[in-house]
Amino acid sequence: MKKILSIVIALSLILTLTACGSKKDTKKIAILTPYLSSVTTNQMVNLLKKESKANGWDANVVDTKGDVGQLANRMEDVIATNVDAIVLVSTDPNQVKAQIQAAKEKNIPVFGCDSAYIDGMAMNATSDNTAMSKMITEHLFQQLGNKPINLVVLTYRPHPGVLKRTLELDKLRKQNPNVKKVIEQQVNVPGPIENSRKQMENLLLANKEDGSITAVWAGWDEPAIGATQAIQAAGRKGIIVTGIDGNSQAVDLIKKGSPLVATVKQNFTGMAELVTKQIEQVLQGKAVTEKEQYAPATLITKENAGK
Amino acid sequence: MNRMQTTYAVSLRKWFRVYGTLFAGILIILCFSLLSPDSFATVDNVINISRQISFLVIISLGATLVMAVGEFDLSIGAMASLGGVVAAKLAVAGQPMWLCILIPLVVSVVIGYINGWIITKFKVLSFITTLGMGTVLGGITFWLTDGATIFENIPDSFRYLGQKMWFTVPILSFIMLFLTIVFWYIMSHTAFGRKLYAIGGNESASRNAGVAVAQNKNLAFAFCALLAALAGILMASRLGSAQPTSGDGLFLPAYAAAFLGMTSFKEGVPNIWGTFVGAAIIGILANGLTMLEVPSFLQDVVTGCIVIVAVILQKIGRDAS
Repeated sequence: MKKILSIVIALSLILTLTACGSKKDTKKIAILTPYLSSVTTNQMVNLLKKESKANGWDANVVDTKGDVGQLANRMEDVIATNVDAIVLVSTDPNQVKAQIQAAKEKNIPVFGCDSAYIDGMAMNATSDNTAMSKMITEHLFQQLGNKPINLVVLTYRPHPGVLKRTLELDKLRKQNPNVKKVIEQQVNVPGPIENSRKQMENLLLANKEDGSITAVWAGWDEPAIGATQAIQAAGRKGIIVTGIDGNSQAVDLIKKGSPLVATVKQNFTGMAELVTKQIEQVLQGKAVTEKEQYAPATLITKENAGK
Repeated sequence: MNRMQTTYAVSLRKWFRVYGTLFAGILIILCFSLLSPDSFATVDNVINISRQISFLVIISLGATLVMAVGEFDLSIGAMASLGGVVAAKLAVAGQPMWLCILIPLVVSVVIGYINGWIITKFKVLSFITTLGMGTVLGGITFWLTDGATIFENIPDSFRYLGQKMWFTVPILSFIMLFLTIVFWYIMSHTAFGRKLYAIGGNESASRNAGVAVAQNKNLAFAFCALLAALAGILMASRLGSAQPTSGDGLFLPAYAAAFLGMTSFKEGVPNIWGTFVGAAIIGILANGLTMLEVPSFLQDVVTGCIVIVAVILQKIGRDAS
C-alpha cells in the first residue's frame, strides 16, 4: 500500500506542477540548453524569457546539465508537443542535427542563440567568436610586449563557441615566436570557477619560479575568475589573465586591478534581441533577415570597466 | 472469514511488492495521457520514448549485472563516451561500419575485464577501482578528441543504427528489446546468471560451493563495459556526432533505473525486466514532464524523489520478507 501512497504523492506533485499550465492560443517557445548553470547562458535564457513574455509568448526552459543525449530527447519531446519555435542556447547544433531536421519536417523553426548555424535552422545570433578571440589574444600579447610569454590555456573545446576562440588562439600563438604554451587544461563544466581555480593552484605550485607562467588565456570568464583567485591567493606577481564574455564578476575584478586585466564583453542582450526579433518575424510568416547574425562585442580593460 | 481476509490482504500486499513499481509506471502513463492527450498519448510518442530510453536501458542492463554480484561499476559513463568517440573516429577514418562497432566493443570488454580482475585479484572496492578507471577513460577520451566534438566527415552509414527505422520502429528500440531479452535469458535461464545471483547473495558460500567467483565477476564487469560502450556507440550514431562527455549523463540514471528495478518482479534483487521498467519510468517521466512544460529543475526533484521512495520501499519490502 505504501507504493500506492508514493505514486499518489508523485502524481499529485505532477498535477500540482501542471496546474498552472499554459494558456491556449498563445505561441509556445521552447528554450533548450545544456548549460543553464553557466552565468552567460543563464543571462541569455533570462533575457529570452523576458522578451518572450513581453511578446505574449509562453516560454518553457529546458536544461539538460551538460548532457547532449538528453538534449536530443527533450528536443524530440517539445517537437512532439508542436511548439511554435525552438531556441537552442549555447548549443552545438551538429549534436542535434537529426532533431533539427525533425523540427523542420514539422515546420517548427529552430533558432540559435550563441550557438551556430547549420542547415535546417532558421537562424543563429551570436558574437563572432573568432573576432573576439583575436581581439583579446592580441591585447594579451601586447600587454607583455616583447617579453617571453609563458602561457597557460584554460578552455573547454567541446563548446562550439569556445572551440572557435581556442582555435584562433592556436593560430595567433603559432604566429608569435615569443609565446610558449606551458599547458592547456580542459575546464570541467559545470563548476568552471572552482575547477579552474584548483587547476591554477596546482600549476602555480608546479611552476614556482617567477616568470615560469606569465599569462593565462581563458576561453571564457569563469575559468579566468578561478585562475585569478588562485593567483591572488598564492600572492604571485607578474601573471596576467584574460577572459571572454564580460560577465559582471570578471568586470569587477578588472576594475579592482586584479591579475584579470581584460575581457571581451559579449552583447548577450543584443543576441537575445536579435533572436526575439527573428522569431517575431517568422511567427508572422515572414522570412528571417540573415541566417547568421552577429551582435558586436567590446574590449573591457581597467580603463573602461564598469562604465 | 477473518482468515480469508488476512490471506487476501497478505497476497495483495505481496502483489504490490512485486508489481507495485510496474503499476506505478502504468499510473504515471495514465496521468500523462490524461494531462497531455494530444502529444503524450500518441503512437509517435510511444516510438519516441522507446528510442529515447534505448541507451539508458542498454547501459542499465550492464549495471544490473554488476549489481547482481554485489558490485558497482562507476566507469560506465566514461566507457560510453569512449565507445562513441572511438567508433566515430574510426568512421571518420573511413573504416567499415562493422569494424567501427567491433573495435570499441572489443576494447570495452578488455577494459571491463581489467576492472573485474583488479577488484577480484587485489580485493579492492569496486567503487574506487571503477571510479579510477572512469577517470582514466575520461582522460583517454579527451586525448583522442582534443576535447572537441567529432562531427565532421561522419559517413551516413554511421548514422544508420541510431537514426533509421524498421517498419516505422527505430532500430534502436529493436536493439534495446533484443538485448533485454538476451540478458533476461542469460540471468534467468543459464548457469552463468544463476552463479552471478549466487555470488551476489553470498560470496563465500558460493566460493565454498565451487563457484569460480573471480572469473564470473570479471565476466560481469566485461559485459557491463560492453553494454556501456554499445550505448555510447549508439548514442553517437543517433546524434551523428561523438562528444567526449556524452556518456556522463547516463551514469546516474543507469543506477537509478537498476535500483528502481529492484523494486519490481524480484524484490530486492537486481533483475533485467525490473531494470527495463525502471529505465522506462525515468524516460517516461522526463518525456511527460517536458511535454507538460514542467521546469527542468522540478523534473529533477520529481524524478529524484521517486527514486528515493523506491529505494526506501525496496529496503522495507526486503526487510519485511
